[in-house]
Amino acid sequence: MTRNVERTAAWMYRGVWGVLTRWFRVPEHPPSLPALPGEELQSFKPSEGFLRYLKLQFWLAFAVTLGAIVVAWVFVTAARPWIGASLTPVLALVGIAQLVFGYLAIHLRYDTTWYVLSQRSLRIRSGIWTISEATITFENIQNVTVESGPIERFFNIANVIVDTAGGSSGGGEHGGKSAKNLHRGVLAGVSNADEVRRLILSRLSLSKVTGLGDESLIPANAWKTEHLAALREIRDALVE
Amino acid sequence: MAQLDPSKIDRPVPALLKYYIITALLTGPLSVIVILPLFFKYETLRYRFDSEGMSMSWGILLRREIYLTYRRIQDIHLTRNIIQRWLGLATISVQTASGSASPEVSIEGILEVDALRDFLYTKMRGAREHHEEEQAVPPADEALLLLREIRDLLRHRGQSGQRT
Repeated sequence: MTRNVERTAAWMYRGVWGVLTRWFRVPEHPPSLPALPGEELQSFKPSEGFLRYLKLQFWLAFAVTLGAIVVAWVFVTAARPWIGASLTPVLALVGIAQLVFGYLAIHLRYDTTWYVLSQRSLRIRSGIWTISEATITFENIQNVTVESGPIERFFNIANVIVDTAGGSSGGGEHGGKSAKNLHRGVLAGVSNADEVRRLILSRLSLSKVTGLGDESLIPANAWKTEHLAALREIRDALVE
Repeated sequence: MAQLDPSKIDRPVPALLKYYIITALLTGPLSVIVILPLFFKYETLRYRFDSEGMSMSWGILLRREIYLTYRRIQDIHLTRNIIQRWLGLATISVQTASGSASPEVSIEGILEVDALRDFLYTKMRGAREHHEEEQAVPPADEALLLLREIRDLLRHRGQSGQRT
Protein backbone atom coordinates (compact mmCIF):
# COMPACT_ATOMS: atom_id res chain seq x y z
CA MET A 1 0.00 0.00 0.00
CA THR A 2 2.59 2.56 1.07
CA ARG A 3 4.83 1.46 -1.79
CA ASN A 4 2.03 2.17 -4.21
CA VAL A 5 1.53 5.60 -2.67
CA GLU A 6 5.23 6.28 -2.92
CA ARG A 7 5.36 5.17 -6.52
CA THR A 8 2.39 7.36 -7.43
CA ALA A 9 3.97 10.31 -5.61
CA ALA A 10 7.27 9.82 -7.44
CA TRP A 11 5.45 9.54 -10.76
CA MET A 12 3.47 12.71 -10.09
CA TYR A 13 6.62 14.48 -9.01
CA ARG A 14 8.33 13.57 -12.26
CA GLY A 15 5.35 15.03 -14.08
CA VAL A 16 5.68 18.27 -12.15
CA TRP A 17 9.37 18.34 -13.03
CA GLY A 18 8.58 17.85 -16.68
CA VAL A 19 6.15 20.76 -16.61
CA LEU A 20 8.68 22.91 -14.79
CA THR A 21 11.54 22.21 -17.15
CA ARG A 22 9.40 22.54 -20.27
CA TRP A 23 7.05 25.39 -19.46
CA PHE A 24 8.86 27.24 -16.75
CA ARG A 25 12.33 26.77 -18.20
CA VAL A 26 13.86 25.41 -15.04
CA PRO A 27 17.32 24.14 -16.02
CA GLU A 28 17.55 20.38 -15.72
CA HIS A 29 21.29 20.16 -15.30
CA PRO A 30 23.42 21.29 -12.40
CA PRO A 31 25.32 24.53 -12.95
CA SER A 32 28.96 24.45 -13.91
CA LEU A 33 31.85 26.84 -13.68
CA PRO A 34 34.34 27.80 -16.34
CA ALA A 35 37.33 25.74 -15.30
CA LEU A 36 40.94 25.90 -16.28
CA PRO A 37 42.30 22.77 -17.92
CA GLY A 38 43.06 20.20 -15.27
CA GLU A 39 40.89 21.92 -12.72
CA GLU A 40 38.34 19.67 -11.11
CA LEU A 41 34.81 20.70 -10.36
CA GLN A 42 32.88 19.38 -7.43
CA SER A 43 29.16 19.86 -7.61
CA PHE A 44 26.86 18.63 -4.92
CA LYS A 45 23.47 19.12 -3.39
CA PRO A 46 22.49 19.65 0.22
CA SER A 47 22.58 16.41 2.16
CA GLU A 48 19.59 14.14 2.60
CA GLY A 49 19.40 15.36 6.17
CA PHE A 50 18.50 18.81 4.88
CA LEU A 51 15.42 17.34 3.20
CA ARG A 52 14.39 15.67 6.44
CA TYR A 53 15.10 18.88 8.34
CA LEU A 54 12.85 20.89 6.01
CA LYS A 55 10.12 18.28 6.34
CA LEU A 56 10.33 18.34 10.12
CA GLN A 57 10.07 22.12 10.04
CA PHE A 58 7.05 21.80 7.78
CA TRP A 59 5.39 19.22 10.04
CA LEU A 60 5.90 21.40 13.11
CA ALA A 61 4.29 24.38 11.39
CA PHE A 62 1.56 22.13 10.04
CA ALA A 63 0.84 20.68 13.48
CA VAL A 64 0.56 24.15 15.00
CA THR A 65 -1.89 25.40 12.37
CA LEU A 66 -3.80 22.14 12.48
CA GLY A 67 -4.10 22.43 16.26
CA ALA A 68 -5.40 25.98 15.99
CA ILE A 69 -7.91 24.99 13.32
CA VAL A 70 -9.14 21.98 15.32
CA VAL A 71 -9.64 24.12 18.43
CA ALA A 72 -11.58 26.70 16.41
CA TRP A 73 -13.60 23.93 14.79
CA VAL A 74 -14.49 22.43 18.17
CA PHE A 75 -15.78 25.77 19.41
CA VAL A 76 -17.79 26.37 16.24
CA THR A 77 -19.28 22.89 16.35
CA ALA A 78 -20.20 23.27 20.00
CA ALA A 79 -22.02 26.51 19.26
CA ARG A 80 -23.58 25.67 15.87
CA PRO A 81 -23.28 21.96 15.07
CA TRP A 82 -24.52 22.27 11.47
CA ILE A 83 -21.87 24.89 10.54
CA GLY A 84 -19.19 22.68 12.03
CA ALA A 85 -20.43 19.66 10.12
CA SER A 86 -20.48 21.47 6.79
CA LEU A 87 -17.02 22.95 7.42
CA THR A 88 -15.42 19.55 8.00
CA PRO A 89 -14.92 18.50 4.35
CA VAL A 90 -13.65 21.99 3.41
CA LEU A 91 -11.09 21.92 6.22
CA ALA A 92 -10.01 18.41 5.31
CA LEU A 93 -9.46 19.47 1.70
CA VAL A 94 -7.48 22.53 2.76
CA GLY A 95 -5.33 20.38 5.02
CA ILE A 96 -4.61 17.85 2.28
CA ALA A 97 -3.80 20.60 -0.22
CA GLN A 98 -1.44 22.16 2.29
CA LEU A 99 0.31 18.82 2.75
CA VAL A 100 0.68 18.19 -0.98
CA PHE A 101 1.92 21.69 -1.79
CA GLY A 102 4.20 21.78 1.20
CA TYR A 103 5.88 18.53 0.24
CA LEU A 104 6.07 19.61 -3.37
CA ALA A 105 7.67 22.91 -2.45
CA ILE A 106 10.20 21.22 -0.16
CA HIS A 107 11.21 18.67 -2.77
CA LEU A 108 11.45 21.28 -5.50
CA ARG A 109 13.51 23.54 -3.30
CA TYR A 110 15.82 20.66 -2.52
CA ASP A 111 16.13 19.56 -6.12
CA THR A 112 16.84 23.04 -7.46
CA THR A 113 19.60 23.80 -4.98
CA TRP A 114 23.11 23.12 -6.22
CA TYR A 115 26.57 23.99 -4.98
CA VAL A 116 29.60 23.91 -7.26
CA LEU A 117 33.14 24.24 -5.98
CA SER A 118 36.15 24.64 -8.19
CA GLN A 119 39.74 25.26 -7.19
CA ARG A 120 39.16 28.99 -7.31
CA SER A 121 35.55 29.78 -6.80
CA LEU A 122 32.14 28.59 -5.80
CA ARG A 123 28.75 28.90 -7.36
CA ILE A 124 25.42 28.52 -5.61
CA ARG A 125 22.17 28.01 -7.45
CA SER A 126 18.79 28.08 -5.78
CA GLY A 127 15.21 29.01 -6.41
CA ILE A 128 12.26 27.86 -8.47
CA TRP A 129 10.39 30.97 -9.59
CA THR A 130 13.40 33.19 -9.52
CA ILE A 131 16.50 31.15 -10.10
CA SER A 132 19.54 32.87 -8.72
CA GLU A 133 23.14 31.86 -9.18
CA ALA A 134 25.86 33.48 -7.14
CA THR A 135 29.49 33.22 -8.15
CA ILE A 136 32.21 34.11 -5.64
CA THR A 137 35.94 33.56 -6.02
CA PHE A 138 37.73 32.30 -2.91
CA GLU A 139 40.14 35.19 -3.18
CA ASN A 140 37.33 37.63 -2.45
CA ILE A 141 36.02 35.82 0.61
CA GLN A 142 36.52 37.68 3.87
CA ASN A 143 35.27 35.13 6.37
CA VAL A 144 33.67 31.73 6.55
CA THR A 145 31.03 30.83 9.11
CA VAL A 146 29.67 27.42 9.94
CA GLU A 147 26.45 27.47 11.90
CA SER A 148 23.94 24.86 12.93
CA GLY A 149 20.98 24.80 15.26
CA PRO A 150 20.10 21.92 17.57
CA ILE A 151 17.71 20.32 15.09
CA GLU A 152 20.21 20.74 12.29
CA ARG A 153 22.86 19.05 14.42
CA PHE A 154 20.44 16.20 15.04
CA PHE A 155 20.23 15.73 11.27
CA ASN A 156 23.98 16.11 11.02
CA ILE A 157 23.89 19.14 8.77
CA ALA A 158 25.19 22.70 8.97
CA ASN A 159 25.15 25.90 6.96
CA VAL A 160 28.40 27.21 5.54
CA ILE A 161 28.22 30.98 5.07
CA VAL A 162 30.83 32.90 3.14
CA ASP A 163 30.99 36.68 3.20
CA THR A 164 32.72 39.00 0.80
CA ALA A 165 33.69 42.58 1.52
CA GLY A 166 31.13 45.32 1.71
CA GLY A 167 28.00 43.58 2.85
CA SER A 168 25.46 45.80 4.53
CA SER A 169 21.80 45.13 4.19
CA GLY A 170 20.73 45.12 7.79
CA GLY A 171 21.11 41.38 7.98
CA GLY A 172 22.68 41.78 11.39
CA GLU A 173 25.07 39.38 12.99
CA HIS A 174 25.20 36.30 10.80
CA GLY A 175 21.45 36.36 11.03
CA GLY A 176 21.23 34.01 8.15
CA LYS A 177 19.07 33.21 5.25
CA SER A 178 16.25 35.72 5.50
CA ALA A 179 18.36 38.79 4.86
CA LYS A 180 18.85 39.45 1.17
CA ASN A 181 22.52 40.09 1.48
CA LEU A 182 24.18 39.87 -1.89
CA HIS A 183 27.64 39.91 -0.38
CA ARG A 184 27.01 36.51 1.13
CA GLY A 185 26.79 33.00 -0.12
CA VAL A 186 24.98 30.39 1.95
CA LEU A 187 25.59 26.71 1.44
CA ALA A 188 22.61 25.52 3.42
CA GLY A 189 22.28 22.02 4.80
CA VAL A 190 25.57 20.40 3.87
CA SER A 191 26.71 17.34 5.77
CA ASN A 192 30.44 17.88 5.20
CA ALA A 193 30.51 21.46 6.45
CA ASP A 194 33.94 21.13 8.04
CA GLU A 195 35.41 19.73 4.88
CA VAL A 196 33.95 22.55 2.81
CA ARG A 197 35.21 25.12 5.26
CA ARG A 198 38.67 23.59 5.31
CA LEU A 199 38.76 23.60 1.52
CA ILE A 200 37.72 27.26 1.32
CA LEU A 201 40.11 28.33 4.06
CA SER A 202 43.01 26.48 2.52
CA ARG A 203 42.37 28.25 -0.76
CA LEU A 204 42.02 31.51 1.15
CA SER A 205 45.33 31.15 2.93
CA LEU A 206 47.11 30.65 -0.39
CA SER A 207 45.98 34.06 -1.49
CA LYS A 208 48.25 36.91 -0.45
CA VAL A 209 45.78 39.71 -0.87
CA THR A 210 42.99 40.83 1.41
CA GLY A 211 40.39 40.70 -1.28
CA LEU A 212 39.98 44.44 -1.52
CA GLY A 213 41.81 45.06 -4.75
CA ASP A 214 45.19 45.92 -3.21
CA GLU A 215 47.39 43.38 -4.94
CA SER A 216 49.39 46.04 -6.75
CA LEU A 217 51.00 46.90 -3.39
CA ILE A 218 52.57 43.54 -2.89
CA PRO A 219 55.47 43.21 -5.32
CA ALA A 220 56.65 46.82 -4.88
CA ASN A 221 58.31 46.52 -1.47
CA ALA A 222 59.22 42.87 -1.48
CA TRP A 223 62.89 41.88 -1.32
CA LYS A 224 63.48 38.93 -3.56
CA THR A 225 66.33 36.46 -3.27
CA GLU A 226 68.13 38.23 -6.10
CA HIS A 227 68.08 41.50 -4.18
CA LEU A 228 69.42 39.83 -1.05
CA ALA A 229 72.17 38.15 -3.04
CA ALA A 230 73.20 41.48 -4.52
CA LEU A 231 73.23 43.05 -1.03
CA ARG A 232 75.44 40.26 0.31
CA GLU A 233 77.82 40.77 -2.55
CA ILE A 234 77.99 44.49 -1.71
CA ARG A 235 78.79 43.63 1.89
CA ASP A 236 81.48 41.24 0.80
CA ALA A 237 82.89 43.85 -1.53
CA LEU A 238 83.07 46.30 1.39
CA VAL A 239 84.70 43.77 3.68
CA GLU A 240 87.50 43.02 1.21
CA MET B 1 29.19 27.54 -26.17
CA ALA B 2 29.15 30.35 -28.69
CA GLN B 3 32.06 32.73 -28.54
CA LEU B 4 31.03 36.11 -27.27
CA ASP B 5 32.76 39.36 -28.00
CA PRO B 6 31.62 41.66 -25.17
CA SER B 7 33.03 44.73 -26.86
CA LYS B 8 30.27 44.34 -29.45
CA ILE B 9 27.56 44.65 -26.81
CA ASP B 10 26.06 48.08 -26.93
CA ARG B 11 22.28 48.11 -26.68
CA PRO B 12 19.92 45.77 -24.81
CA VAL B 13 17.86 43.45 -27.00
CA PRO B 14 14.22 44.34 -27.82
CA ALA B 15 13.06 41.50 -25.59
CA LEU B 16 13.97 43.69 -22.64
CA LEU B 17 11.29 46.18 -23.64
CA LYS B 18 8.80 43.32 -23.76
CA TYR B 19 9.92 42.29 -20.29
CA TYR B 20 9.54 45.83 -18.99
CA ILE B 21 6.04 46.09 -20.48
CA ILE B 22 5.00 42.80 -18.86
CA THR B 23 6.35 43.80 -15.45
CA ALA B 24 4.60 47.17 -15.78
CA LEU B 25 1.31 45.49 -16.70
CA LEU B 26 1.59 43.29 -13.62
CA THR B 27 1.35 46.36 -11.41
CA GLY B 28 -2.24 46.78 -12.61
CA PRO B 29 -3.66 50.30 -12.69
CA LEU B 30 -0.26 51.82 -11.96
CA SER B 31 1.21 50.44 -15.15
CA VAL B 32 0.75 53.71 -17.08
CA ILE B 33 3.04 55.46 -14.63
CA VAL B 34 5.44 52.57 -14.19
CA ILE B 35 5.97 52.03 -17.90
CA LEU B 36 7.38 55.49 -18.61
CA PRO B 37 10.67 55.34 -16.69
CA LEU B 38 11.17 51.75 -17.80
CA PHE B 39 10.61 52.70 -21.44
CA PHE B 40 13.09 55.57 -21.21
CA LYS B 41 15.55 53.35 -19.42
CA TYR B 42 15.31 50.86 -22.25
CA GLU B 43 15.69 53.58 -24.87
CA THR B 44 18.74 55.18 -23.28
CA LEU B 45 20.50 52.10 -21.91
CA ARG B 46 24.01 51.71 -23.29
CA TYR B 47 26.72 49.22 -22.39
CA ARG B 48 30.39 49.31 -23.09
CA PHE B 49 32.81 46.51 -22.30
CA ASP B 50 36.50 47.11 -22.78
CA SER B 51 39.56 45.18 -21.73
CA GLU B 52 39.77 46.69 -18.23
CA GLY B 53 36.23 47.41 -17.19
CA MET B 54 32.70 48.03 -18.19
CA SER B 55 30.37 50.97 -18.18
CA MET B 56 26.66 51.30 -18.29
CA SER B 57 24.66 54.48 -18.75
CA TRP B 58 21.00 55.34 -18.84
CA GLY B 59 18.53 58.08 -18.01
CA ILE B 60 16.92 61.02 -19.71
CA LEU B 61 16.44 63.65 -17.01
CA LEU B 62 18.86 62.23 -14.52
CA ARG B 63 21.68 60.67 -16.44
CA ARG B 64 23.70 58.01 -14.78
CA GLU B 65 26.86 56.48 -16.03
CA ILE B 66 28.63 53.89 -13.95
CA TYR B 67 32.06 52.50 -14.61
CA LEU B 68 33.73 49.64 -12.86
CA THR B 69 36.90 47.67 -13.42
CA TYR B 70 36.61 43.91 -13.65
CA ARG B 71 39.29 43.32 -11.04
CA ARG B 72 37.22 45.06 -8.37
CA ILE B 73 34.29 42.71 -8.81
CA GLN B 74 33.47 40.94 -5.57
CA ASP B 75 30.69 38.65 -6.64
CA ILE B 76 28.48 38.02 -9.63
CA HIS B 77 24.84 37.12 -9.25
CA LEU B 78 22.73 35.82 -12.07
CA THR B 79 18.99 35.85 -11.48
CA ARG B 80 16.22 34.89 -13.83
CA ASN B 81 12.61 35.00 -12.86
CA ILE B 82 9.97 33.13 -14.72
CA ILE B 83 9.11 35.92 -17.19
CA GLN B 84 12.76 36.48 -17.95
CA ARG B 85 13.22 32.76 -18.58
CA TRP B 86 10.36 32.76 -21.06
CA LEU B 87 11.94 35.66 -22.91
CA GLY B 88 15.43 34.21 -22.68
CA LEU B 89 16.65 37.08 -20.53
CA ALA B 90 18.42 37.32 -17.20
CA THR B 91 19.86 39.89 -14.86
CA ILE B 92 23.56 39.84 -14.05
CA SER B 93 24.19 41.78 -10.87
CA VAL B 94 27.79 42.72 -10.33
CA GLN B 95 29.00 43.86 -6.94
CA THR B 96 32.12 45.60 -5.77
CA ALA B 97 33.22 46.02 -2.17
CA SER B 98 31.30 49.25 -1.66
CA GLY B 99 28.80 49.13 1.14
CA SER B 100 25.57 49.45 -0.75
CA ALA B 101 23.10 46.65 -0.36
CA SER B 102 21.84 46.90 -3.91
CA PRO B 103 24.17 45.74 -6.66
CA GLU B 104 26.38 48.31 -8.31
CA VAL B 105 25.56 47.22 -11.82
CA SER B 106 22.60 45.21 -13.04
CA ILE B 107 23.13 44.11 -16.60
CA GLU B 108 19.80 43.39 -18.24
CA GLY B 109 18.67 42.65 -21.73
CA ILE B 110 21.55 40.51 -22.95
CA LEU B 111 20.73 37.21 -24.56
CA GLU B 112 24.16 35.61 -24.14
CA VAL B 113 24.03 35.88 -20.36
CA ASP B 114 25.98 32.73 -19.60
CA ALA B 115 28.81 33.67 -21.92
CA LEU B 116 28.89 37.22 -20.57
CA ARG B 117 28.94 35.97 -17.00
CA ASP B 118 31.78 33.61 -17.78
CA PHE B 119 33.63 36.51 -19.38
CA LEU B 120 33.19 38.63 -16.25
CA TYR B 121 34.15 35.68 -14.09
CA THR B 122 37.41 35.06 -15.90
CA LYS B 123 38.25 38.74 -15.55
CA MET B 124 37.54 39.00 -11.85
CA ARG B 125 40.17 38.65 -9.19
CA GLY B 126 41.03 35.15 -8.17
CA ALA B 127 39.69 33.44 -11.24
CA ARG B 128 43.18 33.26 -12.74
CA GLU B 129 46.60 32.91 -11.19
CA HIS B 130 47.88 36.43 -11.54
CA HIS B 131 50.84 36.40 -9.15
CA GLU B 132 52.96 33.94 -11.05
CA GLU B 133 54.39 36.41 -13.52
CA GLU B 134 54.95 38.94 -10.75
CA GLN B 135 56.87 36.53 -8.57
CA ALA B 136 59.61 35.99 -11.11
CA VAL B 137 61.84 39.06 -11.05
CA PRO B 138 61.30 41.02 -14.22
CA PRO B 139 64.53 41.75 -16.10
CA ALA B 140 64.02 45.47 -15.74
CA ASP B 141 63.96 45.50 -11.93
CA GLU B 142 65.39 48.89 -11.15
CA ALA B 143 66.31 48.20 -7.54
CA LEU B 144 68.21 45.07 -8.50
CA LEU B 145 70.06 46.84 -11.32
CA LEU B 146 71.04 49.64 -8.95
CA LEU B 147 72.29 47.20 -6.34
CA ARG B 148 74.39 45.38 -8.91
CA GLU B 149 75.79 48.68 -10.12
CA ILE B 150 76.77 49.68 -6.57
CA ARG B 151 78.37 46.27 -6.07
CA ASP B 152 80.41 46.62 -9.21
CA LEU B 153 81.47 50.15 -8.30
CA LEU B 154 82.57 48.99 -4.85
CA ARG B 155 84.51 46.07 -6.28
CA HIS B 156 86.13 48.32 -8.81
CA ARG B 157 87.08 50.87 -6.16
CA GLY B 158 88.42 48.12 -3.87
CA GLN B 159 90.62 46.77 -6.65
CA SER B 160 92.01 50.19 -7.63
CA GLY B 161 92.59 51.02 -3.94
CA GLN B 162 94.73 47.86 -3.53
CA ARG B 163 96.80 48.75 -6.57
CA THR B 164 97.87 52.21 -5.39
